[in-house]
Amino acid sequence: MATLREIKQRISGVKSTQKITKAMKMVAASRLRRAQENIIKARPYAQKISEVLSDLVSSTSDMQIPYFKKVENAEKIAIIGITADRGLCGSFNVNIIKAIENEIQQKYSNQNTVGNVSLFLIGKKGFEYFNRRNYKIDEKHLGIFSDLKFEFAERFITNLSNRFINAEFDKVILISNEFKSVMQQNLVIKQILPITSVSTESTKTEITDYIYEPEKQKILQTLIPSYLNSQIWKALLESYASELGARMTAMDQATENASEMINGLQLKYNKARQASITKEIIEIVSGANALS
Amino acid sequence: MKEKLLNIEIVSPSKPIFKGEVKSITLPGTEGNFQVLYNHAAILSSLSIGIIKIEDANGNKRKLATSGGSVEVKNNSVVVLANSAEFEDEIDKNRANKSKERAEERLKNKLSNDIDVKRAELSLARAINRLKISK
Repeated sequence: MATLREIKQRISGVKSTQKITKAMKMVAASRLRRAQENIIKARPYAQKISEVLSDLVSSTSDMQIPYFKKVENAEKIAIIGITADRGLCGSFNVNIIKAIENEIQQKYSNQNTVGNVSLFLIGKKGFEYFNRRNYKIDEKHLGIFSDLKFEFAERFITNLSNRFINAEFDKVILISNEFKSVMQQNLVIKQILPITSVSTESTKTEITDYIYEPEKQKILQTLIPSYLNSQIWKALLESYASELGARMTAMDQATENASEMINGLQLKYNKARQASITKEIIEIVSGANALS
Repeated sequence: MKEKLLNIEIVSPSKPIFKGEVKSITLPGTEGNFQVLYNHAAILSSLSIGIIKIEDANGNKRKLATSGGSVEVKNNSVVVLANSAEFEDEIDKNRANKSKERAEERLKNKLSNDIDVKRAELSLARAINRLKISK
């Protein structure tokens, strides 16, 4: 049986861990608020550009635009995976990593064996995992979430879509976490390129007869990159907010578990203390009895 | 008589900039500046680096510096999808000056890469545009 001193040490150990988890929860919570605000700020643009683009795409029949170019039996696949840079956020990273691995194994195992699946990893955790396992990593971006900039999203996707246009890739897929609520993240697997359909939240079908200035093709050429930028930007913001949400929940759970543990240990400590007192009394009494 | 106003919305990727009713809006289209008034025909245009001018219902005029984007006009609602847009009083003059200097420096040093030259030119144009209206 553990001695009183040992139990006491464990209690103070758990208590200091609890302090850390509590602090981490607070930090995540305050960052989460800002991240959520950013999502809300980015929403109008993403929504509007989808609307404009879907109007335009639905009225365009000739798809002579490289961004729409569909390749039958896509051979060269690019997968963008967004994870966090840090752990201690529950199953957040594991979910993404598993999803990427499943996607590769189930849909593109042939392409993978000939080395045609390239990974674009954002976040340290994903990189560390796939780097150890001999996957083909094309790009890695670590530590971008602490200072998330729109320019990053812009550069990243411009580079990638140029490579898509140059036929270096037949398909670009994005795997990331979408922010549902603080407690809940949704895993999404989305095809970024070629663009198949532009989804909008509103369901209006009227087709407006626009004047185009300059011509339609050129407008699409400027709109689509902006659309892709906002898609990636949104994914990054959502992923970051999800990460913080997941960390908050995980740390909250950890703090609670620590409390439970402390309670258990305290009980054990009290019992041990009681036992030792009882033992002493018995010793004294039996000693006195022996004398008389 | 109800006044004839346009519903405009200016949004950038990182945040919404402006939303409201105005009499007119002047935009820097890639094919030249144009003004949108009530009952303008539906138009979809791309924008270049330049200045957006808006006139609200009371005749107050405000200017924004934009670094390009697109605009959609239909049913008297104008949606400006700007890559960036700042009101004249929001412009950080120091930052614009600095980026102007930086771009000039880069251009002077004759970069070997075409893309870099282009980028520096664009960033110079943006900086000059900002400085133009911040006075």
